[in-house]
Amino acid sequence: MITARSKLSSPTMILRAPLVALAASVALFASPAQAQFPTTPPPPAPIRPTRLPPIREATLPNGVHLLVVESHKLPVLSVNMAFRAGDFTNPAGKEGLAGMTAALLTKGGGGRTAEQVSEAIEGVGGTIGAGTGPDVLSVNVNGLSSDKDLIFGLLGDAVARPAFDQKEVDLARTQLLSALRLQNSNPSAIGARIFNRALYGSLPYGKSSTPASVQAITRDDILGFYRDRVRPRGALLVVAGDIDLATATRLANAAFKGWTGAPVAPPALGTPVAPAKTEIILVDRPSSVQANILVGYPAFTAADPRQYALTVADRVLGGGAHARLFTILREQKSWTYGSYSSVSDVRGVGDFTAAVQARNDVADSALVELLAQMNRLRTEPISAQEFADAKNAITGSYPLDLETARQLAAAIANARLNGLPADYVTTYRNRIAAVTPAAVQSAVKAVVRPNAALVVVVGDASVLRDRLAKIAPVRVVTPDGTPAVAATPAAGATGAASAASPPQVDASKLVASTDSSTILLQGNPFGSSVKQLQRSADSITVTERVVLGPVMNQTTNITFSPKGDVRTVTQRGSVQGTPTKIDATYANGRVKGSATTVGQSGVRNITFDTTVVAGTVDENAVGSLVPALPWSKTASFSIPVFSPGEGVARTFTMKVTGTQSVTVPAGTFDTYVVEMSGGQLPVMFYITSAAPYRIVKTAPVGPPLEIVLVR
Amino acid sequence: MAISPLACSAFPVVRRSLAVIAVAAALAAPLAAQKPAPIAFDSYTLPNGLKVILAEDHTAPVVAIDVTYNVGSRNEQPGRTGFAHLFEHMMFEGSAHVKKGEHMGLLETAGSSAFNGSTIEDRTNYYEPLPSNRLNLGLWLEADRMRSLDITDEKFHNQREAVKEERRLRVDNQPYTKVIFEEGYKAIDSATCWPYSHSIIGSMADLDAAKTSDVQQFFHTYYAPNNATLVITGDFQPADAKKLVAQYFGDIPRAAPPPIPQCTPSFDAGARRERIADAKATLPAVMKYYTIPSYDSPDYPALELLATIVGRGQSSRLNRALAREQKVALQTQVFVDPFGPRRGPGPFVFLSVANNGVSIDTLDARLTDQIAQLAANGVSDEELTKAKNIWRAQAINERSRAMSLAQAIQRANLFLGSPDRLDSDFDRYAAVSAADIKRVASTYLRPSNSYTFIDAAEAAK
Repeated sequence: MITARSKLSSPTMILRAPLVALAASVALFASPAQAQFPTTPPPPAPIRPTRLPPIREATLPNGVHLLVVESHKLPVLSVNMAFRAGDFTNPAGKEGLAGMTAALLTKGGGGRTAEQVSEAIEGVGGTIGAGTGPDVLSVNVNGLSSDKDLIFGLLGDAVARPAFDQKEVDLARTQLLSALRLQNSNPSAIGARIFNRALYGSLPYGKSSTPASVQAITRDDILGFYRDRVRPRGALLVVAGDIDLATATRLANAAFKGWTGAPVAPPALGTPVAPAKTEIILVDRPSSVQANILVGYPAFTAADPRQYALTVADRVLGGGAHARLFTILREQKSWTYGSYSSVSDVRGVGDFTAAVQARNDVADSALVELLAQMNRLRTEPISAQEFADAKNAITGSYPLDLETARQLAAAIANARLNGLPADYVTTYRNRIAAVTPAAVQSAVKAVVRPNAALVVVVGDASVLRDRLAKIAPVRVVTPDGTPAVAATPAAGATGAASAASPPQVDASKLVASTDSSTILLQGNPFGSSVKQLQRSADSITVTERVVLGPVMNQTTNITFSPKGDVRTVTQRGSVQGTPTKIDATYANGRVKGSATTVGQSGVRNITFDTTVVAGTVDENAVGSLVPALPWSKTASFSIPVFSPGEGVARTFTMKVTGTQSVTVPAGTFDTYVVEMSGGQLPVMFYITSAAPYRIVKTAPVGPPLEIVLVR
Repeated sequence: MAISPLACSAFPVVRRSLAVIAVAAALAAPLAAQKPAPIAFDSYTLPNGLKVILAEDHTAPVVAIDVTYNVGSRNEQPGRTGFAHLFEHMMFEGSAHVKKGEHMGLLETAGSSAFNGSTIEDRTNYYEPLPSNRLNLGLWLEADRMRSLDITDEKFHNQREAVKEERRLRVDNQPYTKVIFEEGYKAIDSATCWPYSHSIIGSMADLDAAKTSDVQQFFHTYYAPNNATLVITGDFQPADAKKLVAQYFGDIPRAAPPPIPQCTPSFDAGARRERIADAKATLPAVMKYYTIPSYDSPDYPALELLATIVGRGQSSRLNRALAREQKVALQTQVFVDPFGPRRGPGPFVFLSVANNGVSIDTLDARLTDQIAQLAANGVSDEELTKAKNIWRAQAINERSRAMSLAQAIQRANLFLGSPDRLDSDFDRYAAVSAADIKRVASTYLRPSNSYTFIDAAEAAK
């Protein structure tokens, strides 16, 4: 449907001429004398109480705590089972295990395959899902109450009888790796990960999944995790909807038949230590045009009574379009599209953070402002209007977030597992309404320590480091969190050195050949690529022709010296009918040329004439050099690359992360699984593990695109 | 050609044989048992013509307000298309006692974030969910803009630009939307049914030619209490709510009854075809439009269920056949009335995106084949039961929140004639048989009733 929103701008209302009054009857509806139409918004009426449906509890013989939120308003049923087995229980080196186990619970069990599970629940118009948060692993099934047998049956299959089929394990691992890599190309996600690690260190909340940790997870690990942590004793089952306690008990007991035991003790959460003084961790993301800034402090546990006051402070600071951060950083200074703050909601000690994404040239100002605004909450009482607005917004939205049985069940489960008192959900609004300005200042003073903030900035270190160093000491790291060698800003060359080393190119391995590949979109043929390599006495030439449906086609000609150094790159093509071209010449440590490309903001023309470090490879030539690199199980290369389409230098890292047997139209091959990062998206290459090294499959991480070798 | 309405039996009362009764019982009884409790409505009309429908529910301390004006793109005149939608933008620009931008600010501070408005062919609605102690705020805001919307040259020009920008983003910048938002309307015969044969977003030329006085005239004609319905759901006390409604809306003067759009539906206009040049179409698509009757037609439930069976999800008929088995389509979607229900003829749409290397004419032929098979053979009982289950779950879930319930009530009231039809809809859909599905497929999904659009980057392919 076509919808509309008005644009916000400063109001200048022009009163228009009054409507000509039609002969209107003012006979009132049978009621006392009607009041005038108010000329200002009417004030709030008294808050009406949140009356929860009756909640009945029981403990099942196997130790599960059953809560039934009975509501016969609609014939719906929602079951939500939760275990204290969230991400905080991940073992060191196998981070991601909890999440992967959760995902697999609904992928087959109790005699049904994964497809059969989803067809069974979809066939009745219901849903099923499972996942983890920092504290909790949960499984939920939703549907109509007439399908209660199926709903409980599927729940039981998931938690008591999961199959953990090897095929599903492999698929889950691939999907998790994909999601992880995509996430790792998102600067906000990188920032949050580095922040958590800096705040919590080796404590459970500080750990996060990496491709290595996920690759290391085996089916046995999953079985072990399941056996140790997904056990009935102490687990919480919240059932909400059209059902009573007796029926829920009967169905739960039947679903959990044979499933017994207590989980192993979960790891202690520990208490994070606040930094002694403000330090800026700068995560280098070369050629980033924006800085993602995150400022924060350790704060309270979810059960801390000061959490209510901190929540109000958070709303005033950065809770929406009328909060301070948005108003100042966006509306007044135009430094960003948005700036917000948040208070984390975890069982252990959480944090209070503020974030902004700002252009490079104002990143330092934005950080200073962020720090100042957080500090202002400690030192300056909040105005009566802001205070009232913040409380009203929180208390106002609360019932809207608890309207359905399903929402209520999730909120109750969350509260219980965070160690909150039994009346938390019912009394929340009143407690927020009771927060005083003094309580807010006191809570903020306990959290916001002046000159001792934890700051993480994700951006281009070569541009930002010196500017940020004026605010606080700066420590530069790579997106993995490892210390980076200081990048020397040089014209056209950016990028942090990585632990990998530049490879030796053996040009004798580049033999005359023609490779044809198909490009698949969501598994269906969508385009093609033909690459031909020819040798002559004094040069090597590669010609590649790519066609992507009717949307894009291009032909690239690259010439190399007999040693494999790039000499020239010429590319001609079109993107959606718009012509594109690249011309680049490499000589004497410099690259010179021009490019016309089509991107998100339209057509872009650039020229470049700049130095490049020794061994620089044109971005378009990297694939052609693959056969000439020294591949092995532990190979890890750092390749200086120049991208003529953007006119910037980068560092690509190519790292072997494992081996895999891959089947493509050209045949079945044993391959090295190579992850290439440093470009716009990470890319997976599958390279034959025996010489001649050919790329048999290429898959950028994220889009459902694959290039497979045909012959 | 008039399609004669076919009687839609509710519970088949069959006395022929036990087997038939057993089958009928097996199919009908479990479905009948799964209806939610009927809603108690309190409906009345103010002296100025504003219809008010109240549906009380004290489960959660929330309320929802939906004001629907009986005006949409179907009310526009040739040369003045796009007005209804432009109007929706204007309604957020401020009124006598609400500054521009203040409407959204007041709602957000009250805790509401899921407020909005929307325009379709038949109506324009404005809605906001709120905590129940802010019912007064929501009603006051709706009343202020109904009585005193501030229409100035500046605001009109600004919103005209906003509409053009919206058009660029939604219609011009994505593949296939050009057909869905605009070209697809050609399937309806403009000679006999002009109101439903033009797009909601309208022609930019018409908007450019419009003057502020035209916009003011549109407001006075259509944005009047006698042309609107106010629905309030949730946690309110009827006496208080009625008092507020009377106080805020009671003295807004009524306008003359607006003209009723004229439309004579026509079907089977002959197979038509057109190639649309769409630079954004990464892959070409074939879009087949079939004309079907209005939302209140006895055939409508069968058509809606048919769309679910053939096109919804990976395991739907067409995705299995054309994508997985024959590999000619990347994916296929099937939908009815993309923007919302209508009181006139509308489209039943197949949208199938081709795999590269597959000629679009081949895909069109395969799709046409699949559609012909539907008409000839119908669907299985299993497929029908699954589609009914999905429909029923949606119909029940839309009642779980005050806001979605309010919108559902407006839908039943406007398109089916009364809010009570929301409850009786369960029987209407439960009663659809496999024979009904086959019948509507063969009646409406025939080549003579089709308009095929080939949507491709290079039109001359």
